[in-house]
Amino acid sequence: MVVFTCYDNFESMMTCIYDAWAARLGHSNIRLQTEPVGNLELFCEYRHIDTEMEKVQKVIRSIHKKISFQAYQYVYAASLSSHEEKLDRIYRFLVLGFACGNAVLDMLHQPEVQAIFELQRSVYNETHKFREFVRFDRLENQILFSVIEPKSHVLTLLAPHFEDRMPSEDWIITDKNRLLAVVHPKNQEAFLTPITPQELAYMESVRNKKDSYTRLWKTFFDSVSIKERANAKCQRNFLPLWYRKNMTEFTEE
Amino acid sequence: MKVNFSLSLEEKLQILSDAAKYDVACTSSGSDRRGKKGSLGNSCAAGICHSFAADGRCISLLKVLLSNECVYDCKYCLNRRSNDKVRTTFTPEELCSITMEFYKRNYIEGLFLSSGVIKNPTHTMELIYQTLYLLRTKYHFRGYIHAKAVPGASPEIIEQTGYLADRMSINMELPTEKSLHTLAPGKTQQSIEKPMAQIQGKIIDYRLSLGKTASMERFGQNQYLSSTIFTDTASTLSGASSLALEKTAFTPRIQNSRSLSVPIDKQKKRPFVPAGQSTQMIIGATAENDYELLQVTQQMYQKFDLKRVFFSAYIPLNEDSALPSLDTAPPLLREHRLYQADWLLRYYGFHAEDLLSPARPNFNILLDPKCDWALRHLEIFPVEVSHASYGDLLKVPGIGNKSAWRIVQARRQGTLDFSALKKMGVVLKRAQYFITCQGKMLYRTPIEEDFITRQLTGTDKKTAWEAEHPQTYEQLSLFDHHFLEVPPTVEDSCKTFWGQL
Repeated sequence: MVVFTCYDNFESMMTCIYDAWAARLGHSNIRLQTEPVGNLELFCEYRHIDTEMEKVQKVIRSIHKKISFQAYQYVYAASLSSHEEKLDRIYRFLVLGFACGNAVLDMLHQPEVQAIFELQRSVYNETHKFREFVRFDRLENQILFSVIEPKSHVLTLLAPHFEDRMPSEDWIITDKNRLLAVVHPKNQEAFLTPITPQELAYMESVRNKKDSYTRLWKTFFDSVSIKERANAKCQRNFLPLWYRKNMTEFTEE
Repeated sequence: MKVNFSLSLEEKLQILSDAAKYDVACTSSGSDRRGKKGSLGNSCAAGICHSFAADGRCISLLKVLLSNECVYDCKYCLNRRSNDKVRTTFTPEELCSITMEFYKRNYIEGLFLSSGVIKNPTHTMELIYQTLYLLRTKYHFRGYIHAKAVPGASPEIIEQTGYLADRMSINMELPTEKSLHTLAPGKTQQSIEKPMAQIQGKIIDYRLSLGKTASMERFGQNQYLSSTIFTDTASTLSGASSLALEKTAFTPRIQNSRSLSVPIDKQKKRPFVPAGQSTQMIIGATAENDYELLQVTQQMYQKFDLKRVFFSAYIPLNEDSALPSLDTAPPLLREHRLYQADWLLRYYGFHAEDLLSPARPNFNILLDPKCDWALRHLEIFPVEVSHASYGDLLKVPGIGNKSAWRIVQARRQGTLDFSALKKMGVVLKRAQYFITCQGKMLYRTPIEEDFITRQLTGTDKKTAWEAEHPQTYEQLSLFDHHFLEVPPTVEDSCKTFWGQL
């Protein structure tokens, strides 16, 4: 068994898929994995693959041409997931997809398709949850600042929504787990940038604690619920506890 | 009535959101609008909830009253004239700044503005209009706005508000003229339906001017169903003449609205209530049964082309001889069943008459309406998954729109088995009694009403019990005590005492 490994980002994964395919070892004799690789297995040869943009383009182009744009969206979303086997699942999906064409998206009885369907669904669901539950705070210089700790890498799917929604505001959404941030300067396009832990700590320290609207929001949040209908279980169903870490209404002052 | 002028913004927000919380509609759906440079906000057709309150209801919009002063004395209402409460009113500027700042922090999706009636309906509506106008023009707000139309306000001001709001609603509060007369003496069915018909007419004008159909868009996959409540409007309207809906003189809707309208090209750019209208009914304050309620609901959809009808379980706030007593628990399970039925009407092609009848006027407590219906129509089951139509698949308990659609797509590519169905999202717990894959059922099960009912209620009893007692805790047990019908007898206690049991 040969295991192809690469860094956990979209370009590396595409290159890895290209090289794994081009190695011509037989689909059943290889496995793909993102790094860090946990326990090494016996009788396995590990090959690290580095990103090459040319190969990335080729893979993306073939997905578009031989399957469809929608399949590319599936693959892209699945690549953002935090699932350990995501790269291998994408590979198996593409093997089937290159053979069957666009019909592969409807083949929900095939385990390869089920796996990718599940991944992309959970990533899109999580993105939607963060669309709802991102909370901005005003920094002293009036920039809207937000921290999230998502399981999947949702920032690139999240940014277009807020770009459309608040085109004339300065805002930042920070992914604390991956140390990445989407920065949107007023009336310009948003961009993704890595940040250092020091920068993050600085931004969190200057968060304007005296923001009067935080208090108003908490007041509203409490008074709008009906005591006679209290139902914590239902609340947890819609808004699981791990989302609440960075939400204004659930954090103490 | 004491009107307090020295309240802080926080106290005002507290009072006026507390007073607005009994309004159910907090949806931000139905309107799709891109953002624009220099403005704030967009709108997403699917709707976005931003938080969930301690009662598990979503918080999508900033739901407040403009004022809790009111000239009416509706018996069920917290803000009725005769209640001794602190009264206060937002200024339009205050409301605008709260909305804008909340929106920027991603707390809310927009504004839901309702109000008690100050002086008279038209004056109140003018205040609502002022706020909306300021928000849309001065503050360049492009988010969602849901505004209440106050029954009895002049048609001109309602129309102007409609050009600024995404959704408008008029609460019918009570389903029949009679109960309206007893509990809300200030309102009549006609005064409620008149603005509804007016708004409906304007919406039709706007839609036709864009080249769309006159009636609102419904769920896209409804086109594959043979009949829904939206396609055959004429057949069911005659059913419940006792419900007084037909008695109003407001029927010729298109002709009526044409005469009111301003030249169309002048207004082409200004959407009129693009997300449609909604309404709300109180459940459990009066004696109507579920059949009447569901029929009224269906008629509201058919007659006024509403996007939604909301139900609100009655919560006793005032003491009055005409009302249920103060210790009445809100009928949450009943409300839940009505919502389930409402979904069946709008998304599954059911009619009110399919689900209930004068002989069976109320919903089954133990079973959801779809299971209940399926058990009474066992002659059409089991359904073969590999060639049943989309409409037939939808009738199966445990198969919803999404899974029915996925089945229809997937079966073209290969044969489906039960494990694949499960992965697609079919709830086999319920569906297994009603479907076959390749001619076989999941287990050997007889298609008998008694047997399936027993199987289904065993699991559903627990969910129903939990819906009724949302906050109660129970002792953990190795055994499922929800199956127990009979309380333990004296002999049983004796046997446990002597160690025989």
